[in-house]
Amino acid sequence: MSDLVTIFVDGIELQVEQGATVVDASKRVDVDIPVFCHHPKLEPVGMCRMCLVEIGMPMRDRATGEPVLEEDGSPQINWGRGLQTGCTVRVADGMRVRTTTDVVDEARENVIEFLLTSHPLDCPICDKGGECPLQNLTMAHGLGESAFDFDSKMQNEKHVPLGELIFLDRERCIQCARCTRFQDEIADDPVIGFHNRGRALEIVTLSDPGFDSYWSGNTTDICPVGALTTADFRFGARPWELIPVASISPHGPEGANITMSTRQEAKSGGRVVIKRIMPRQNELVNEIWISDHTRFVHHFADAADRLTKPLIRKGGVLVETDWDTALTTVAEKLQAAGSSAAGLSGDRPSNEDLFAFQKLFRQGLKSHHIDLAASRIAGGDVTAQVGIASGSNLLDLGRGDVIVVVASDLHEEAPIWWLRVKQAAERGAQLVVLNVRPTRLDKFATHLVHYPVGEAVATVRQLLGAAQISDGASDQIGKIAEAIVGATNVVAFYGYEGLTYAETDVLAKSLANLLQVKNSDGHSHVGRVNNGLIAVWPHNNTQGAWDMGIHPALAPGYQSVDQPGRSAAEIYSGVQDGTVQTLFVMAADPVGDGLMNGRGLLDFLVVQELFLTETAKVADVVLPAQSWAERDGTFTNGERRVQRYYPAIQPVGESRPDWQIIEQIGHKMGLDKPHFAASLVFKKGIAAGVPQYSDMDYRSIAKVEKQYPDVGGEDLYYGGTSYENKHGLGQQWTSAAESGDVAMFTVPDVTPSAAGALPVIRTAALYTPGTLINRSDVLSPRMAQPTLHLHAADADRLSIATGDAVIVSVNGQSLQLSAHVNGAAPQGLALINGVSYAAGVLDAKIETA
Amino acid sequence: MIDGIVELLRGMGITLSHLFKKPVTYQYPEEKRPVRYRFKGRHELKRYDNGLEKCIGCSLCAAACPADAIFVEASENTDAERFSPGERYASTYEINMLRCIFCGFCEDACPTEAIVLEDKYELSFYDRASAIYTKEMLIVPVPEGGQDTPQITEPGMFDRSIPDMENPK
Amino acid sequence: MTHIILRHHDVENIHELSVYQANGGYEGLKKAFSLGPKAVIDEVKKAVVRGRGGAGFPAGLKWGFIPGGDMQKYIVINTDESETGTFKDREILEKNPHQVIEGALIAAYAVGATKIYNYWRGEYMDAAYACEKAIKDCYASGLLGENILGSGFSCDFYNHFGAGAYICGEETALLNSLMGDLGQPWSKPPFPAQEGLYGKPTVVNNVETLANIAPILVNGADWYVGLGTDQSNGIKVVCLSGHVNRPGNYEIEMGKVTYHQLIYGEEYGQGMRDDKGFKALLPSGGSGPVVTADALDADVSFEGLNPFGSMMGSASIIVMDEDTDMVWATEKMTHFFKHESCGKCTPCREGTFWLEKLLIKINKGRGTQEDIQKLERVATQIQGKCLCALGEFATSPVLSTIKHFMDEYKAKVNTAVPVPAD
Repeated sequence: MSDLVTIFVDGIELQVEQGATVVDASKRVDVDIPVFCHHPKLEPVGMCRMCLVEIGMPMRDRATGEPVLEEDGSPQINWGRGLQTGCTVRVADGMRVRTTTDVVDEARENVIEFLLTSHPLDCPICDKGGECPLQNLTMAHGLGESAFDFDSKMQNEKHVPLGELIFLDRERCIQCARCTRFQDEIADDPVIGFHNRGRALEIVTLSDPGFDSYWSGNTTDICPVGALTTADFRFGARPWELIPVASISPHGPEGANITMSTRQEAKSGGRVVIKRIMPRQNELVNEIWISDHTRFVHHFADAADRLTKPLIRKGGVLVETDWDTALTTVAEKLQAAGSSAAGLSGDRPSNEDLFAFQKLFRQGLKSHHIDLAASRIAGGDVTAQVGIASGSNLLDLGRGDVIVVVASDLHEEAPIWWLRVKQAAERGAQLVVLNVRPTRLDKFATHLVHYPVGEAVATVRQLLGAAQISDGASDQIGKIAEAIVGATNVVAFYGYEGLTYAETDVLAKSLANLLQVKNSDGHSHVGRVNNGLIAVWPHNNTQGAWDMGIHPALAPGYQSVDQPGRSAAEIYSGVQDGTVQTLFVMAADPVGDGLMNGRGLLDFLVVQELFLTETAKVADVVLPAQSWAERDGTFTNGERRVQRYYPAIQPVGESRPDWQIIEQIGHKMGLDKPHFAASLVFKKGIAAGVPQYSDMDYRSIAKVEKQYPDVGGEDLYYGGTSYENKHGLGQQWTSAAESGDVAMFTVPDVTPSAAGALPVIRTAALYTPGTLINRSDVLSPRMAQPTLHLHAADADRLSIATGDAVIVSVNGQSLQLSAHVNGAAPQGLALINGVSYAAGVLDAKIETA
Repeated sequence: MIDGIVELLRGMGITLSHLFKKPVTYQYPEEKRPVRYRFKGRHELKRYDNGLEKCIGCSLCAAACPADAIFVEASENTDAERFSPGERYASTYEINMLRCIFCGFCEDACPTEAIVLEDKYELSFYDRASAIYTKEMLIVPVPEGGQDTPQITEPGMFDRSIPDMENPK
Repeated sequence: MTHIILRHHDVENIHELSVYQANGGYEGLKKAFSLGPKAVIDEVKKAVVRGRGGAGFPAGLKWGFIPGGDMQKYIVINTDESETGTFKDREILEKNPHQVIEGALIAAYAVGATKIYNYWRGEYMDAAYACEKAIKDCYASGLLGENILGSGFSCDFYNHFGAGAYICGEETALLNSLMGDLGQPWSKPPFPAQEGLYGKPTVVNNVETLANIAPILVNGADWYVGLGTDQSNGIKVVCLSGHVNRPGNYEIEMGKVTYHQLIYGEEYGQGMRDDKGFKALLPSGGSGPVVTADALDADVSFEGLNPFGSMMGSASIIVMDEDTDMVWATEKMTHFFKHESCGKCTPCREGTFWLEKLLIKINKGRGTQEDIQKLERVATQIQGKCLCALGEFATSPVLSTIKHFMDEYKAKVNTAVPVPAD
């Protein structure tokens, strides 16, 4: 820990870390120094001049260096010549700060008066009105009147689109630069900036398309006035009319904490709807940032085409039916199939749903034929052993630490982790990036390896070998191995880009062994705080699906089963050859994803979904489930943090929570009565049945504690009303390595997928079209277009130019893509992007259309 | 005795004199009593002379309402479809007259003097739903020479919600 | 008197490298190489060369702040001479460029910098071309580039143009602009000596300051200390302009010449234009408070004007005769500051705009007594709250003219046509 210094703020003595600013330090004793430009997450600039305070230092005798004392023995204080900005001055031992003197009050009045000379008084129509730092500080510190003539206010454009997502009101901007500094310092997307000077200083976008960043929405949160607003919420409601509901992002493995602001609306027929999504502070997970995907994707919950009633196939067509008929039919069919029934689940539903799902099969039907419908990445069993230790926080990584990222484009796959890894690198952590192609993380890498196509596993094995021998080899792999073994803390991320499921399994185990290599002090990088492995899961609750035993060979809590059931691939082939007769699909669309060819020879197919997906269209019974916004539950993020979300809106139609539907089916089959609430499923089912979750309940997950920097208080100096986290920081479960040594993994052999003349891999894009994102109109202009990225040399050889329409045949499917010749693809490798998932290196045929 | 008769006659005299005075009662509902200048009756949503609505959908009336009787939803104006000056207008405006206590706080809160408690006082309903007055019921007719909303307006003409910002007098 | 800085008055064609060298040029640099870096800094410290850009911070101390070590360091020459009425640096660099280059090289050698950036005011194109030729000559003669004069010390020199912003005369704004960012100052610390250009230790010196260095090394610090007064060593180039008969740059020994002498002296201004009476002068362009006739007997030095509440600054003296409308003049100066405000900090951005607005109102005859009070209030409201000195400077013409020429303001206000109430 850094050294503590003692300072006195308005006479209150406090101890703070050296390097803290006076503004941030004063917050610790609830002395609020008003600010506009300052933000504790950004570098101080001192430009708004709102935080002017009196700062004094004890005087020292120049000759002797002894403190000069007053007559009463207290140190004599040199108060300097004038006021100083509390946001730029760092604390020093013995510092005195006065924040309530007349001269300070007057300075605040003056600055507010100046700010209001060019700020329009259109608070009545401003989206920020009611949660506006400028309003609040004017009420708290303003004079209440001004000598300024209102008729010479600025008249600027009020409706400047900075892109499809963000609007700028030039009049309201107070030139605090929080947005531009956020984009520069935090998001590393310097796509907006200042233009002109003096009173004409204005924000402009420098990118095409405008404000091209995955983080743009965060600028509207930190904007201290209503200058930046989102297209989604613009004039949607007044802040005081909104009801905040704590939730967890339904996308991505990071488990970003969010607040959904809801309101009952006449427009929506009197329904409560989600008006906006904003970040909720959780310094352990997402700090106060969320990606635009998380912010704008929520529209699927209110989509008009949601399933509202159970459907049953009668005379070849799906017709609406009542719940009892649907549930009875499903229960009878499943019971008839017994242990031959198979179940496939998505990795989006909550832990409660997934637990109930496996329980229905394992206990109700004595069947282990359950799996994730689309598994991309293996290693849940590995992270259970050596996953990042509980109590870790990526925010703590810095100098002396190493972060390894293998085969993942974090910026697209898990933007929050990208942000935190990047920031750790900026704090001095060494970043090791191993990938087949350039990604956004390369820029921050200390060691960068672009391995040849198909050699991901080989490269990591080489690294493991070098670490185990530690002969101080001077080649790059040797240096990386040395850095990893010698580091204070190591966190390793692994993904699945260009890899098959089997390859990711080897990758996970090799990395796990690498982390277990002991350094000279006898420490390994597992089982200690801020050390361990993280899998870049494709969805929000893939970790939970592993934990809950959605696996043919692993029961809840990674207990192996005697006789493993069919894996997803075996189920799909069974559907085609008739060995699987009865299938239950929950929250997945294997037909739409191209994994299952229609209903094959299935006798009975039941689909539990939000929408009438391709799979649902061929089902015998379709059960309408509730989206995450309509109910409560828990997700487990990639750091194994179990987090709660709460119901925000009323159920759509007759839809029911997944766990409830499944338990009702189970009840009809003779299992226990359905639980009354999700919390009971957790308490009586999960906590009892999953050893890792045994010390958790809804109350322990919902525990909160005071977080610093304090941005969510009632003062609202930092914009946004949603930051305050009152509903839980979550609870990380303990990995096996924390309670004792774990054995080295036996790493199986794997053959990399075969590559053709020009190997092709599918890369992730944050806005890849999909069931959920397609229903968000506001994101549609930003949606990733199906694109083929080629290196210039390969493009020349194939005589393809940027913009050409090409047809790429992958796994027997033809994809219509538009070609892009740029720096994204290395020579000898083509990338396809904006298309649905395809595993491994693809043997694809590329033709011009 | 004489005294009694005198008193009786005096009393009858008063009665007689009232026969020739103007009666104070009104034959409501045929005849309606004019209201006082500061009477607070049913609300009206006002328009500018050109027909544009004064209401900008800011919801401050709803915030000020002690009875929670007002519900507002805002939408964005465009020059092709303009309801009010500025960027924002009330796409939904409802007052639940069963809840309203006619305190006039909404009037005080209104930054554009759009909502005014006028002189209409005949508010009775057969069911609860008809107690909810919608925007169509509350808004005044288009003044002479004005146009009904939505209007097509020239760009830049009505881009401020509060047309003339003035110094406090 | 022989000139020390404006040597082109004494030696013809001193801008040519051969002429400069023939007249003792680059001897200072050779002396520096023989002394070694530490001794050079000590010598300059001993001479107490106060910065000639206006702030008067001793150059030797500034150099001393540069940390040792192997990192890249920079010397930046501040040629963004944009103060109203200042034109000395332009003449120095145009007519006697080698003395500045030599000074900069000595500075670079002393602090261990290997790159010198000369940040030019955007409008000084022609002077920069003259300087560019001098640099080319230096490279050709081994005075710049690798292994200068066989000393083992290498240094490069680059000219860079600003886009014409007054604020870029402030060192941190200058560095931001040089790095390609918006020309806005940053809040110090970090000081340029710790984290300057590209985050590396940087010395930013004024042209005239650097021009003083070579003569000091040649003649010794004691010679320099012998010139001037106790607090203001050496000589100063003053820029005399306004209502005088002979405006121009004059080199003077500090503390030895009074403002009166400068205006009326035969070798300097040669009296007021058209023999009009003297009214006021701006001792430091637009940024120093106005002084009146009672200050004329003060001498030109860093401390000379202290009793009169003003300062020498960059010594750009603008003289105003009795016919000058001081309120009008204040409006012009305030317009300058409003136009040049970078907009980064609130008081300067909004305050300068408001000051100008009030002055226009008063000048147009629409002002009231209240407006004068408001003007004074707004000016004090800006004072002491700004990020850099520009905001502070902007208030000084307003406050000083209100102090000295209240009657003129009152006259304008009293004849004001009342605006009809609408």
